[in-house]
Amino acid sequence: MFKNEEMEINLGPQHPSTHGVLRVKLRLDGETVTHCRPMIGYLHRGVEKICENQSFFQGQVWTDRMDYCSAVANNLGWAEANEKLLGITVPRRAQYIRTLLNEFNRIASHLIWLGTHAMDIGALTVFLYAFREREDVLDINEAFCGSRLTTTAFRIGGLREDLPPGFEKMVRKFLAKFSDCLDEYEALLTENRIWKKRTIGVAKLSAEDAIALGVTGPMLRAAGVAYDIRKAFPYAAYAEMDFEVPTRTEADTYARYEVRMAEMRQSARIIQQCMDGMPEGPVMAKLPKILRSEVNEVYHATESPKGEIGYYLVGEKGSLNPYRFHVRAPGFINLQSLPKMAEGGLIADVVAAIGSLDIVLGEIDR
Amino acid sequence: MNKFLRTLIPTDIAKGLSVTGKHFGQVFFTANRRKVPFHIVGEYPEVPAKVQPRYRGRLTLLKDEQGEIKCVCCLACEKICPTQVITIEKGKMEGRKMPFPVRYDFEMERCIFCEFCVESCGFDSIILNHQFELAAYNREDFSLGTKGTAQNMFELSPVGKYSVAED
Ligand code: SF4
Ligand code: SF4
Repeated sequence: MFKNEEMEINLGPQHPSTHGVLRVKLRLDGETVTHCRPMIGYLHRGVEKICENQSFFQGQVWTDRMDYCSAVANNLGWAEANEKLLGITVPRRAQYIRTLLNEFNRIASHLIWLGTHAMDIGALTVFLYAFREREDVLDINEAFCGSRLTTTAFRIGGLREDLPPGFEKMVRKFLAKFSDCLDEYEALLTENRIWKKRTIGVAKLSAEDAIALGVTGPMLRAAGVAYDIRKAFPYAAYAEMDFEVPTRTEADTYARYEVRMAEMRQSARIIQQCMDGMPEGPVMAKLPKILRSEVNEVYHATESPKGEIGYYLVGEKGSLNPYRFHVRAPGFINLQSLPKMAEGGLIADVVAAIGSLDIVLGEIDR
Repeated sequence: MNKFLRTLIPTDIAKGLSVTGKHFGQVFFTANRRKVPFHIVGEYPEVPAKVQPRYRGRLTLLKDEQGEIKCVCCLACEKICPTQVITIEKGKMEGRKMPFPVRYDFEMERCIFCEFCVESCGFDSIILNHQFELAAYNREDFSLGTKGTAQNMFELSPVGKYSVAED
């Protein structure tokens, strides 16, 4: 009389909790997910191919548009990979300013994640408060480079301009209040029973699985692996900064929440150090008029808010544009772990799993 | 007793409401009062929004003191533009030694406001102004040039009257 049949449904591509145009194919047995496959490609623009046809200088504008929530971090990776390829050393003051803006970007990206992830699970209030602070970070972006989201903040060889007047005051004002704001978010979430019920033990991803799948960033650190490129292979001015890499061992959604909250506090610490120890000097290296590549091949990885973002550039010696360009997008590789986390769980927890991945589809599809 | 209280969901709700209530109270009792530091919203269409001095808005051609176009057609901006939205036609004008742009076309709908063109110009003859309201109803309204009255590159865009403070 009762047939036991599996049902196949699509989550997305226009579902509000899939953070863009991600489509997840789910096979359900009752409410249990037995099979889960993410389908991507709805936002493909061919960024890699476009960059191959443009000069080294022009390519940067496309990196803004990959992960639009952390454009500065993408710019930094692109600029440093190109500097390696072209054999340029960047002045120390420029390194400090880059570090400073990169950490602001980490805060902005984590705030977006916090707001949207909490909203997916049902805590709507945090969204409004998180976006209030993000607005201040975007204002700082605007003061520095003139744009809020698609920053194009750096140039190969340094920065376009020095810090604007009044910048330090903005930063100090933000730092003075930010710790209180984080306390406020934590008051709303950390001890909240509903939040805990929805996150503790949900969407587990063990350290072995995470390493096998190549997962990086807060996802990996929530599984107890203290791998952070800022510490492991320091770039920009991170070698001179004093900060900790927060880790948790529970490897569930709650642990990822805790790791990201702790990371925001560390970012504020790095910004403080950058501001206090800002060296004087030029912000742009001496560049040849036309940029030509010096070496043949470069892979440069940096720690974006989502994980390891790597730029792989192949340039023939003396050429004007990259012969081959590839991005190791953290979101793309982290998304592979979704079936591992979702299969065997409930369908409602798929939303929590996607939220805790912190994906931006612009970067996954490129 | 305290431990028991913390196991109840109403405790969590009260805690969350206290945060919300604090902010609500702050704003409620200072409403209609300007210059309160924690007011973060502005009265945007009535009061023009303030942008930072480096804001990247629409591309504008500059003129020198004699009212002549400063551009000398070196074509650096045309070459550097990542989306190729600038088209320049070189020409001559009587009584001027430098070349003069007969045509300077700017297709705003594809511009990504990166400011590479301004950076590459060695003669300071273009800037990005502070306009951010650039929407229009017709596609032609996005093609700006040196000629024409409504759609030229010297004046502010007619649509964006709220983005620039008149003072
Ligand atoms: S701002 Fe960028 S896209 Fe727009 S015209 Fe200038 S170079 Fe081209
Ligand atoms: S770079 Fe400046 S001077 Fe040269 S063509 Fe463009 S606007 Fe004219």
